[in-house]
Amino acid sequence: MPELSYREAVRDALATAMREDDSVFIMGEDIAEMGGSMGVTSGMLEEFGRERVRNTPISEMALAGAAIGAAMQGMRPIAEIMYEDFMTLAAEQVVNQAAKLRYMSGGQLTVPVVFRTQGGAGWSPGAQHAQQLEAWFVHIPGLKVVFASTPEDVRGLLWSAIYDDNPVVFFEHRTLYGIKGNVPEKIEPIPIGKARVHREGEDVTVIATGRLVHESLQAAEEAEKQGVSVEVVDPRTLQPLDEETLVASVKKTNRAVVAHEAVTRMGFGAEVASVLQYQAFDWLDAPVERVGAKFSPLPFAPVMEQFVVPHADDVLQAILRTVNR
Amino acid sequence: MATEVKLPRLGQGMESGTIVRWLKSEGEQVAKGEPLYELDTDKVTQEVEAEASGVLLKIAIPEGEVEVGRTIAFIGKEGESVAAVEAPAAPAPKAEPASNKLLQPEPERVSEPTTNGRIKASPLARRLARERGIDLSSIQGTGPDGRIVAQDVETPAPAASRAPAPVAAIGEVTSQPLTNIRKTIARRLTEAWTVPVFTLTVSADMTRANQLVASRRELDPDVRVTVTDLLTRVCAQALARHPEMNVQYTEDALLSFPNANVGIAVAAPQGLVVPVVHNAEQLTLVQIAQKRGDLVARARDSKLRAEDIDGGTFTISNLGMFDVDQFVAVLNPPQASILAVGVTREQVVPRDGELVVVPLMTMTLTCDHRAVDGATGAEFLKTVKAFLEFPGLAL
Amino acid sequence: MAKVETKTSLAKGDLRDVLREMLLIRRFEEKVEERFRAGELPGFLHVAIGQEASAVGVCRALEDGDIIASTHRAHGHTLAKGTHPNELMAELYGKTEGCSHGYGGSMHLYDIERGNMGANAVIGGGLPHITGAALAFQMRGEPRVALAFFGDGATNIGTFHESLNLAQLWKVPAVFVLEDNKWAESTPESQHSPIRDLSDRAKAFGMKALKADGQDVEAVYKTARQALEYARAGKGPVFVHLDCVRLHGHYIGDPQVYRDKDEARKLAETRDPITLLRAKLELADDEFDELDAEVTEIVEASVEFAKNGTDPAPEDALKNIYA
Repeated sequence: MPELSYREAVRDALATAMREDDSVFIMGEDIAEMGGSMGVTSGMLEEFGRERVRNTPISEMALAGAAIGAAMQGMRPIAEIMYEDFMTLAAEQVVNQAAKLRYMSGGQLTVPVVFRTQGGAGWSPGAQHAQQLEAWFVHIPGLKVVFASTPEDVRGLLWSAIYDDNPVVFFEHRTLYGIKGNVPEKIEPIPIGKARVHREGEDVTVIATGRLVHESLQAAEEAEKQGVSVEVVDPRTLQPLDEETLVASVKKTNRAVVAHEAVTRMGFGAEVASVLQYQAFDWLDAPVERVGAKFSPLPFAPVMEQFVVPHADDVLQAILRTVNR
Repeated sequence: MATEVKLPRLGQGMESGTIVRWLKSEGEQVAKGEPLYELDTDKVTQEVEAEASGVLLKIAIPEGEVEVGRTIAFIGKEGESVAAVEAPAAPAPKAEPASNKLLQPEPERVSEPTTNGRIKASPLARRLARERGIDLSSIQGTGPDGRIVAQDVETPAPAASRAPAPVAAIGEVTSQPLTNIRKTIARRLTEAWTVPVFTLTVSADMTRANQLVASRRELDPDVRVTVTDLLTRVCAQALARHPEMNVQYTEDALLSFPNANVGIAVAAPQGLVVPVVHNAEQLTLVQIAQKRGDLVARARDSKLRAEDIDGGTFTISNLGMFDVDQFVAVLNPPQASILAVGVTREQVVPRDGELVVVPLMTMTLTCDHRAVDGATGAEFLKTVKAFLEFPGLAL
Repeated sequence: MAKVETKTSLAKGDLRDVLREMLLIRRFEEKVEERFRAGELPGFLHVAIGQEASAVGVCRALEDGDIIASTHRAHGHTLAKGTHPNELMAELYGKTEGCSHGYGGSMHLYDIERGNMGANAVIGGGLPHITGAALAFQMRGEPRVALAFFGDGATNIGTFHESLNLAQLWKVPAVFVLEDNKWAESTPESQHSPIRDLSDRAKAFGMKALKADGQDVEAVYKTARQALEYARAGKGPVFVHLDCVRLHGHYIGDPQVYRDKDEARKLAETRDPITLLRAKLELADDEFDELDAEVTEIVEASVEFAKNGTDPAPEDALKNIYA
């Protein structure tokens, strides 16, 4: 099996789709010669030309809105929003327009647009260049939200997002771009809405997204040494959520930890915890634990950043709390 | 026909408006488009124009709050008559906006030292306890803050697979840790032992009772009616007849129960359990037998639920199958009485000057003297005996 | 997809049709006001009374395949683009027979088949969609134009600047029509814009800008034709600045306490586009009344149609969220 980095996997999905389908094109800030601020679209200008690899001015509303407008006319554009923090600027178009056009038109319109963006702490990006805002978008009916954590998953899911007829907000994590993983020879579309069990276990289920999937796998190894068997599940799609897989796992282990890098309070994990509490109430031997960032903007100084953001040890401590250690 | 002037809807969400004053008087000429009255809405006070020309025949509502759509005046030809208009109902008061509170983030999990009598147990532990007929109050929790978790409820392996008790050398003492069930039994019976009781003993001629049970079995071979079933039926009927027996003592009051929920003591693998036949006074003998059969089977499989053992008001303990002649049972708290039943044995009894052989069964009633007096207990027991000797009375 | 004959101006016969169309919009909007005051129509409603020439003049100039995006004041554009009054009235009444099947209402009127990409409740919300649609036409080599309507208030919002900037940068076939009625709800232009000629904003992006009297339907038509031809030829987007008059308030029920009553009355007398066209055509009273009766009948029929329409089932609220 070939090995690709997460970054290469994203590029592979974009480029393959563009090779096969004229209606697919990409637009975003600095995606042409520079290949994107994270190097994701590197080389694509050379292959596809300026028509289909479009640099835009710094105008997130027009960027998002034009992508929406083109999608309304039958194209399949993928708009890159350079930093997840700037989704706040694009939000008017994503939330008020893309999410609702089909609905308000009584089913007349289809808006097959993908908004790709990346976020995440690490290397002191500062408060305005590091946010994890998935909670904002999973809250909007009409949007699908995807957050893959491995090269195989990000490639297969981006493909599915491109060909989904709904607006999809596709999150990538900055610190994962360099990780390598095995991928199938040919792109295998991964269904939107299906979780993945990374590791099976008996004593506690850890449900994690993005970077925290990898932190959780690390914590699981450590926990194993202490005699606790941990199951790690990545929902991969945040909306729609694969409740079936998550609940079945917790019914098996009787304990759950939900881990994400986003701020814990009022976060995506709160919804997952509620789903588990409701559907697996009589199976829970401990309260559902949540791991996430502390309630503060992201500080600049590395020691402070380290303190705010969750790591493998936080997941481990949560695991041990559920088994009363 | 006069034109009705209705209060118009002048904005989304407008439900009512307040007429401030009329700019025209009754009898005056009005032209379409002329300002007719002043209206105060949520947002602004404005002039409202007339929508028709003519004479302002009547001002139905001179001022005040009016709901949208209501007729407030009539415009028409001079001399036309107009309908009477009711005064507007006071519009519903607007809801107060919720006050904004700035919530403090980052709640710490508050550790509560006292539980106000509520047992801390995980949902899983509760379910397991329910399914196994285990009383949570008897379990010591090992989770945080003394929470009972699943592990605390799991009973030790059943006797069959338990490692055999170590064979002691002569002279040595062996010790086996108490199971939770045993601890519960010990605690409750110690409690019961502190209650002031009295006991009453009576023997009943079981001739007709035995015949009844036998004939019932013939008629309903699938339902194995037993003497215990008959006893249950009899006691239930007797309790119905002696409601002052169907009571419980509490510090503040004497509780009186409307139904006879008769518990039957069963030796289950994990220890003594007392499943309850609820509302036994309404059940037939066959129904009681069916219920009892189901309860006993489930008790033996450790599958009793909370509702099976809750709510009992009277208990029957039958050691007749062990050949015990007679015994005194300990109360089953908080119940006020318990009937201990011995074996039915043929005995020689003088009757009308002759010696006859009669199947006699000896029963002992233990009563909580705080709730029941001697005479009450005696009358009850007399009824029980009568019902057993002449079952027709109880059926 | 393009019409064979390209008409740069309206013939006399056409003008009578145009008057009828404008009168239909006028009577429709008046009826909407009436029904709203009677409490029959839920939601917010903004009527286009006084701006009929802008809607009809522009839409007449469009070719098959061209698309429009509208504003919150969308009824005129929607009717002018070809949606039947029945479907529009039914939508205002929230019926399934409505053009958005009851899901949108007055500010979310969509008629995709007829090239109407929808009204928008967010000021400037539809502008980037027009840039994007024009981009799609350009990429696919289609001779179609995407056209946006918006008001003077919208020239202040971010999407306006971003959308025009991007459209001009990529020279997409778009036309941006400013219906400048000098009012952003209750704020006069002098209070919302530091410049007096809003065309300067388009010029700031290097965009071609045309001007016309928005109350003169012939002038509107001519200018729109010019703009559409330019864009369609691939020369780039065009900004069309129409000088319009909003004869009524911002929303139905707006008492316009902020507006000078005398000035408003004078505008009604001198700048009503229907009155102006009627005069130009030298229409006799009975001819006009005949037209009026025709359109009034259509409007009343639309109310009947709407009132007899089907209410959506409550559970229908959960449909059409995802494709």
